[in-house]
Amino acid sequence: MSTALARTAAEEALGFQLPNRRMEDWRWTDLRQLIDKPYPPRQKVEATPADVERLLASSLFSGVAATRMVFVNGEYDAKHSRQANAFVESTAELSDPVNLMNLAFATDGARLRIEGNVDTPIELVFISTDAAARTVATRNVIEIADDASATIIETHLGEGSYLASSVMEIRIGHNARLDRIKVELESHDAVHLAHAHVVVGRNVTFRDFTLTTGARLNRQNGTFRFIGEFADAKVAGAYLLAGKQHADTALIVDHEVPNCASRELFKCVMDDHARGIFQGKVIVRRGAQKTDGKQSSHALLLSETAEFDAKPELEIYADDVACGHGATSGDLNHDHVFYLKSRGIPEAEAKALLIAAFVGEAFDTVHHDGIRTALEDFAARWLSDHRRKG
Amino acid sequence: MNLLDINNLHVKLEDEDRDIIRGLSLTVKPGEVHAIMGPNGSGKSTLSYVLAGRAGYEVTEGSVTFKGEDLLEMSPDERAAKGVFLAFQYPIEIPGVATMQFLKVALNAQRKARGEKELSTPDFMRLVKDRAAKLNVSQDMLKRPVNVGFSGGEKKRAEILQMAVLEPSLCILDETDSGLDIDALRVVADGVNALRSPDRAMIVITHYQRLLDYIVPDFVHVLSKGRIVKSGDKHLALELEEKGYAEFTESAA
Repeated sequence: MSTALARTAAEEALGFQLPNRRMEDWRWTDLRQLIDKPYPPRQKVEATPADVERLLASSLFSGVAATRMVFVNGEYDAKHSRQANAFVESTAELSDPVNLMNLAFATDGARLRIEGNVDTPIELVFISTDAAARTVATRNVIEIADDASATIIETHLGEGSYLASSVMEIRIGHNARLDRIKVELESHDAVHLAHAHVVVGRNVTFRDFTLTTGARLNRQNGTFRFIGEFADAKVAGAYLLAGKQHADTALIVDHEVPNCASRELFKCVMDDHARGIFQGKVIVRRGAQKTDGKQSSHALLLSETAEFDAKPELEIYADDVACGHGATSGDLNHDHVFYLKSRGIPEAEAKALLIAAFVGEAFDTVHHDGIRTALEDFAARWLSDHRRKG
Repeated sequence: MNLLDINNLHVKLEDEDRDIIRGLSLTVKPGEVHAIMGPNGSGKSTLSYVLAGRAGYEVTEGSVTFKGEDLLEMSPDERAAKGVFLAFQYPIEIPGVATMQFLKVALNAQRKARGEKELSTPDFMRLVKDRAAKLNVSQDMLKRPVNVGFSGGEKKRAEILQMAVLEPSLCILDETDSGLDIDALRVVADGVNALRSPDRAMIVITHYQRLLDYIVPDFVHVLSKGRIVKSGDKHLALELEEKGYAEFTESAA
């Protein structure tokens, strides 16, 4: 359906029509309205090493031994990288608006091929430095060879006002393992539009965790395709949102073959006027028998003006499957708070303990102890900083 | 000095007009064990919640003084730090918070509120291990989230463990015997008796006399329709067991 809407200034600058609420997947995240200023693409911005180093230091994983690959303002930064690009090709055909925009504007991106067991985590750091508002786009392709295993962190950081566009195309070979940890720690004045497209091979173990906490506006799409039997995927996420932050995650888990298991677990904390959305669709194709697919999203609303919307969907064309979904939304349980207080724990501390316990369940998807501890520490800091402000 | 003075207390639910506690007075001195017995609906649990500071209740008349201070003015955590402990009839499950962590945060919060030094991790571990062993609380239970997946007996033992670690000066046991078989009851009662001391008092709230065979009270009070209608020594409990509550509840009407 073509729309007769006049282009907004933001759309003029991009040369693209932005998704709007008339599109079912975008009903809660109308980019036409929410992106209210131009972010021109392909702007060359130089950064000083001092700026880069300062931002690098704010990665949650500075204390975790990792091989880094750094991208600054959309370009590979050899000086701060310990990992070079490989030759892997993009093969995904993706036609949704986030992808098309990224395809048009991406200036660079990580190209990685993992063979064998890589024990040291690899951290991909995407930095946007403070400059005039613009679009910064990277397109990344990661290939995990058959029988290989790796832990890959994605850290998105920045200062100032920008639109970060990130597409991550991941192919996981047979009998391989991938732990992916993404931290969206963008500037509070940033827009983050991302897509992760993951193809999961036979007998794969895949664990995916995303922390969403930085940008004022975040939209993350994920498509996870099972193309080989006996694979197991866990996709988890946590939101820590306050102020007027808006985050929308839209996932499609596509069981194309039998005997695979998928678990999605999202724990979302929203305070002030923050708004969180979780859209999860599980598709079980014809013949994909013995699929075990479950998704759940849980929201903790810390203020009366915070909001959470969930849209779980199951699309099942096989008859011997175990699939389900659940979504809950509410404030802190008063009985829990009273019980902790009755043992001498002051109210603020009791609440922080309960909130940490709430999001902690999603952190359990992360198996690397150092990475999980860094995430837990960040959550504790977020809660206490946030409380001080409130 | 009296530890606790409840004077002509009237309490109602915030969103209802009817008083549940209607002119209750009770004085508790250090070292004493008071049993409060009464039929369902007599106000036993309300009394325990009001003393612990749970929201949803409104005191319309009377006063409660604890260690010379107005208890009703304090928040639940302040009451706990001052020495009030309620062992819940239905202990609350707290997913995601390990029992050990919970005990440590609670103990150190109380110590901090009292201006005492926080306990180091090794000292704390020693304290908990010692108390847990006496109550048959396993290391596994301590690692699990607070009360989550605990059996009825485990929950009650966990409550008494918290009491043993926090060392309150006033222990309120709300129907601690409910849901316990005789073996579990004995373990819990032994745990409570081990905490009896000249400067600690207890209020044991129960429907049945059975618990009082194990935790022998100095005083027994019969609660009916929000008021203490009769007080006596431990023999009163036996009398109640024989005759039932009818005699007392009728006289209160």
